[in-house]
Amino acid sequence: MPPNDCRAASPPTRPAPLARRMLPMLLCGLALATLAACATPPPASDPDAVADFRETNDPIEPTNRVFYAVNNGIDTVLLRPVATAYRDVVPEAVRSHVHSFLVNLGNPVQLINDVLEAKPRRAGDTLMRLVVNTTFGIGGIFDVATDWGWPDHENDGGMTFAVWGLGDGPYLFLPILGPSSPRDAAGFASDFAVSPFSWIGVGTVAQALSYTKTAASAVDARANVIDALDKITSQALDPYATIRSLYRQHRDSQIEDLRADNRRTVPAWFPAAAAPGPTPAPGATKP
Amino acid sequence: MTGPNTMTLLSRRTALVLLAAAAPLAASAPARAAEVSPDQATDFIGRTGRDLMTAVNGAGSTQDKAAALQGIIDRAVDVNQIARFCLGRFWRQASPAQQQDYIDLFHRVLVQNITGKVGDYQGVTLVVNRATAREDGVAVTTTVTRPNNAPNRVDWLVSNESGAPRIIDVIAEGTSLRLTQRNDYTAYLGRNNNDVQALIEALKKQANGQPAG
Repeated sequence: MPPNDCRAASPPTRPAPLARRMLPMLLCGLALATLAACATPPPASDPDAVADFRETNDPIEPTNRVFYAVNNGIDTVLLRPVATAYRDVVPEAVRSHVHSFLVNLGNPVQLINDVLEAKPRRAGDTLMRLVVNTTFGIGGIFDVATDWGWPDHENDGGMTFAVWGLGDGPYLFLPILGPSSPRDAAGFASDFAVSPFSWIGVGTVAQALSYTKTAASAVDARANVIDALDKITSQALDPYATIRSLYRQHRDSQIEDLRADNRRTVPAWFPAAAAPGPTPAPGATKP
Repeated sequence: MTGPNTMTLLSRRTALVLLAAAAPLAASAPARAAEVSPDQATDFIGRTGRDLMTAVNGAGSTQDKAAALQGIIDRAVDVNQIARFCLGRFWRQASPAQQQDYIDLFHRVLVQNITGKVGDYQGVTLVVNRATAREDGVAVTTTVTRPNNAPNRVDWLVSNESGAPRIIDVIAEGTSLRLTQRNDYTAYLGRNNNDVQALIEALKKQANGQPAG
């Protein structure tokens, strides 16, 4: 979509079965759509500036910056202090197990995305991680799968849409969620819709557990980047633009790695004659 | 508050900032007119990585280590070329005096950002994997591991433009140090009437340890 088309900037919302639970997200999209203020494009007489503007592809930058400031405010008074306390009080070993536990809870959604992306080896890794860590790893508290040859990888709905050919579109900075794009926001919504935790249980307890999981994930994630984010806000001249740049580069790199991951599904020890595809190199082993 | 994606991204950023420091050490190689070869680049990064680890993990005060790091940066990093890249199209608009001021300040801020966190690099290990020729130099892929952290993929872009192999970019998990810096400067300039002098003043503040954002 053209970078200076403001109408294109509201995140697409997918028809999802969990309309009631997704209401907050829909409201966010609506708020963006109604509040969106367009950045003023530079005059056509300055081609360099126009090129910059197109490359930046942030047509609702004024609105994005408002949400960036709001999120920073929330972070300063709430999330950063909580995450700092968590990091300072809870021993590293415990935090690492909490992290593994939360990662394991995300494996069902990751598995669905691996399958939707038609990446069998990634799907196999995730499936084995889920099975092994949930059982031998006692509910995911211990990440034994990594040591046993099934390493973790990153995946989400936005990456699935990217593999399906959807471009990321203009930059979005969403309330609470942070840096995003229409594609990644749609991916977030689809992850939410397919997550088993959105489906199982409807009572108060299930709700409370679901909120606890979300809050714990936020604190866990924030605690891991306290120093990094402090560094960006203190060293960047324009932290908003720096985060925008980092977010895009990081997403591009994740998607590039995903596209390049075409590992064979036939094990290296399988008789080459019966195996379709190229002959495995002598001595090839499972990575 | 930021989403999980940012979190991952920011942990990469940590690596990026930290590893900018892993700026290796070039023995004073003779000037070469030819382009740097992949073997040369691999050798250069491996050698300088070892020198870096020696400097950071050895005995000695924090000040000594910071001084050693600065020596490594001066020899192994083509700071001038990175500075020019980061200013982008505004380099041509700057007066020669501004260009000189900018280069000097860029150098000071870069060194300051790297040596100020010398303790963070303790125990870092670097393994050189392979080298790939790119149009602007040779990218040497390495695996960098910090204690208690997952290994990170870090690519070092090596160019011969200054006459000897030198680092012109560090790409940590796909995020390029110089591109990120250029986007930061471009955005800052865009919000300050594209006035290079405003950027120079901001860098002056940074170099003097004041908040400039």
